[in-house]
Amino acid sequence: MMKMLTICQAEMRKSHRHNFNNRLIYFSMFLWPIIQFINAYYAFKPFNLGQNSPLSRFVPVNKLGLFLITGCIAYIFFWSLVQSAWMMGYERQQGTLELILLTPASRTLIMFSRAAANLIEAVWMFSIFAILTIFFMGGLHIAHWWLLPFAVMVLLLSAVVWGGFLNTIFLFSRDAGFLYTLFEAPMEFFSGVRMPIMAFPIWAKVIAFVFPLTFVLTILRAIVMDGKTLGSICIPLIELAIILIALTAASFILVRYAEKHAKETGNLTFF
Amino acid sequence: MWIAFSATFKRQLITMRRAYPWSFFIGHILDGVYITIFAYLSYHFIFQGQLNTQFVSYTGTSDYLSYVIMGGVFNSFAVSLLMIVSRMLINEMREGTLEALLLTPSSRLGYFLGAAIQGLMRSGIEWLAIICVGLFFGLNLVAAHLALLLPIMIVLCFALFAQALVLGGFMLAFRDTYITQNTLFVIMTLVSGVSFPPQFLPDWIQGLSLIMPLYYGLELMRSVMTHAAPSSDILYHLLSLSTLGILYFAIGLLFMKRMEKSVLEKHFG
Repeated sequence: MMKMLTICQAEMRKSHRHNFNNRLIYFSMFLWPIIQFINAYYAFKPFNLGQNSPLSRFVPVNKLGLFLITGCIAYIFFWSLVQSAWMMGYERQQGTLELILLTPASRTLIMFSRAAANLIEAVWMFSIFAILTIFFMGGLHIAHWWLLPFAVMVLLLSAVVWGGFLNTIFLFSRDAGFLYTLFEAPMEFFSGVRMPIMAFPIWAKVIAFVFPLTFVLTILRAIVMDGKTLGSICIPLIELAIILIALTAASFILVRYAEKHAKETGNLTFF
Repeated sequence: MWIAFSATFKRQLITMRRAYPWSFFIGHILDGVYITIFAYLSYHFIFQGQLNTQFVSYTGTSDYLSYVIMGGVFNSFAVSLLMIVSRMLINEMREGTLEALLLTPSSRLGYFLGAAIQGLMRSGIEWLAIICVGLFFGLNLVAAHLALLLPIMIVLCFALFAQALVLGGFMLAFRDTYITQNTLFVIMTLVSGVSFPPQFLPDWIQGLSLIMPLYYGLELMRSVMTHAAPSSDILYHLLSLSTLGILYFAIGLLFMKRMEKSVLEKHFG
């Protein structure tokens, strides 16, 4: 645990020095998510949002704002990690990946610490905006107050595991931008960030369940919008736990394989 | 100007064939395709085809899917063309060839035009790919006003090219591509009427659509490609788009010249 904290602290300092030397970073951390949230909200305006709206079969129309802001906040947590994993390509290009792997630190711990460090840096601004918006909009319905920090912990943990897994995948990549394209948009689209997945046809539902974000959103919305208790969300919690364990195990195996592969081919410093 | 144009065109063509990051190409197509699928699922599976009456009064059509698919098609086209032209000089800087370029007496306009015309080949393929996907998801094209299509396309490309010059100037000023370009793109997608008419937005945000060539381009393209009878505003929008293009062009050339000077002083000492 102490080792993880040390690596986490080092990664956080590195990422802060690397990213925050340019104030433009605040645009990507704050302005983009807000504009994307406004865009998602207005994209529903062309439809019938009256009292007899077909949307109310899945989400009460008066809770559409809350539905979208919970989707956006969870998405930002996951998206910032896709972005941080994408930066893994730069470690390779700049020659620092080899140096990192020469240190005695555990490789898998580095992957997860890197994700955790980048997460906190990337999401705090939009999180404040989202919390203020939620209080301003109202409509929260929570069974027990302690379920709220529990939901945040589930979100944080899932995002870190997902981020660690992506960091590992990106260790193999020579064109990380391509993987970024493949991971980013489908995750937003199919995980139910902007649309209730219950409305999807079967093929889209199958894709939805590939992403842990889908389960996180189901749990988050059940807690903050539907006032569900812990007992009534245990099935999606167990499903999420299985996925997270599988992703962690896959990360452990892949990171060793990636290092072995890199040693054989000598491509750690080559793009 | 012609020599710079043809040299840049050839160089970009070779780069595209040998070393182009195809993730951009697939990314632009996917962006358009995702907007299309999102609209299709929302329309059929969530709202069962029920539209807000205001949508019909703002757009003059009840064909929501064609409206949004056209938005996705031209949004991707605009993003692609803007990226191709605006990133030219900063890429030269990153690759270490900017100093050599600035030392040559070649025409800068020819250089940018060469990049833009070659880039149109790539953007055109992306554009066609998204239209083909759109046809499967409910895009209804009409062939009644084909003669109008070409002049509108030329004016739209000119206006986007001019906007890209201004964007490129900002990139050189900030020494950044990723945040500068994407900040413009998220605002452009919101206010230009890509997936909903800008009239739904509050007035103060709606005003931004008037400085976006994509807004006028979309109004015109929807009018000639998906409406049976072209809108009466077609001339007004065409004039507005041309004026905006000329304005961006003048600002872009001046801004770029100034930034080149500033880069020479700061970067190369």
